[in-house]
Amino acid sequence: MHDDPKDRPANDEYLWDRSGEPNPEIQRIENLLARFRLDAPALEISAIAVRRESKRRKRLILTRWFPLAAAAAIILALGAGILLLKPKTSPISPSQSGWDVAWRSGAPQVGTEKIRSGAVNGKLGVGQLLVTDARSRASIQVSDLGEIDIEPQSRVRLLETESGRKHISLERGMIHATIWAPPGEFVVDTPSAVAVDLGCAYTLQTDESGSGILRTSLGWVGFERNGHESFIPAGAACPMDGKAGPGTPYFEDAPEPFRLALYRVDFGSLPPDLRAAALDVVIAEARKRDALSLWHLLSRVSDSERPRVYDRLAALVPPPSGVTRESALRLDPKSLDLWWNEFDLGDVEVWRHWERSWSQPGVTK
Amino acid sequence: MGSNIAFRTTTTTLHLAALNVSPVPESPDASLVAAARAGDTGAFGDLYARYSRMVHGILLARMPPSEVDDLVHDVFLRAFARLNDLRDASRFGAWLGTITRNLSNDFHRQSRSRIEVNQDFSEVEIEDRATESQDDDDAIAALEAIRSLPESYRETLLLRLVEGMTGPEIALRTGLSHGSVRVNLHRGMQMLREKLSDRASAGPRGDCAPEIK
Repeated sequence: MHDDPKDRPANDEYLWDRSGEPNPEIQRIENLLARFRLDAPALEISAIAVRRESKRRKRLILTRWFPLAAAAAIILALGAGILLLKPKTSPISPSQSGWDVAWRSGAPQVGTEKIRSGAVNGKLGVGQLLVTDARSRASIQVSDLGEIDIEPQSRVRLLETESGRKHISLERGMIHATIWAPPGEFVVDTPSAVAVDLGCAYTLQTDESGSGILRTSLGWVGFERNGHESFIPAGAACPMDGKAGPGTPYFEDAPEPFRLALYRVDFGSLPPDLRAAALDVVIAEARKRDALSLWHLLSRVSDSERPRVYDRLAALVPPPSGVTRESALRLDPKSLDLWWNEFDLGDVEVWRHWERSWSQPGVTK
Repeated sequence: MGSNIAFRTTTTTLHLAALNVSPVPESPDASLVAAARAGDTGAFGDLYARYSRMVHGILLARMPPSEVDDLVHDVFLRAFARLNDLRDASRFGAWLGTITRNLSNDFHRQSRSRIEVNQDFSEVEIEDRATESQDDDDAIAALEAIRSLPESYRETLLLRLVEGMTGPEIALRTGLSHGSVRVNLHRGMQMLREKLSDRASAGPRGDCAPEIK
């Protein structure tokens, strides 16, 4: 190529900054090598990375003290085994049927069995673990539920398969769920929150500490821990944290300063003046569509911050009849539900129904 | 986020500046470093977003691909812990690059032997690879070829061809001059072509190499 002076400047410019005429040879190599790229979204990964700090430090320490780490791991494994086998407190029942697992790539493992290319589907039994390594992917297909794609480096445990209660645990990794079961039937536990399908397609990613993100592409998803709720409609995302649980959902097309300031209000250990500045940005940058985030913020900010959030939310989406400033500021549940329904993002009664129906003994919440 | 701050003229600018500036920043990196030093983990998250591809590329030049993602996090943790040791905050990128290379050296010191790219697959994966696409083999061949180049060429090429950074962006992040990056890209690409061409004409395994035009 370099022997041809006609081609050289254009190709060099493409190599330099992708300007000029694209070079097919370089494009081919770029396409081949793209699989090695760090391709996770920067904002969410940054959240995960920072949240993972303490855990990663522990890992480094454990690496240096391997014998102790190995002993600890054995103890933990025994403990986990005991917990799983404990009959009364676990929702796992050996009599329940399993789900088909289809091979997608690599060698996904169901229990102790690896699924290979061209082999028959594996069967994930209740209580069993599906594990994918760095090169493996798998898919769970259930006729009365939907399809769940499991990405590399994931651990998924099947917890329940009863009619009306499909329940898995994503211990780490990423899944894409396309669900056609009725809203509220499919539930995913993560280390930091419970994701409830409310008629949708979504992607859920978490690490072992519970840091991660949920993105909804269709319908909406409820996200909950200890009464801390987040509703994530199509086009929105919600970060989560092992300690704080679900963060404030935001539309992914929201202005970047809005999203970053929101993240800091959620998870940043900011001094009061910087927190106030972050909240100023959220309020100043919020569009009508971002009522989604402001509605969630109402119950997450302090009493002194709440009136400002209320005023901005009321300016963007006026509260309906029956919702007063006073009732909203004291976080009256009925008022907040009424206001949510004004956004036309999903009927909150679907969620309340799920709360009632799943508030039974044995359900992880 | 720094660039967003710079071009805003509304009151939001002041609020954003208040979030990031302490004291007045000399550069966007410096302001993020200052905020991170003050305990703002969000600012450190922004630095992660800005530099994670550079770190990933440098590691990929030296490490088995399966180790790289975890080590990216370790690099940032090490940097976070040592942030107060950084004298010139505007040189954050170059400093982070040094930490990355040192951590990679530590990894190899702790390993009994160097692991080559094509050894970075389990037995099962090797079996599966036999049935997977030609592209997988081509990709591994291309990565192996780049990793066999001199260090400065291989890092710069990986940042460009794997991480998708442009030459100006590589210069900005690594602290290298535009001229050095241009030379590294140009000469590195030339050597890569030769290696892939040799591979293509070497025999059955060489058939997997990307086509050279």
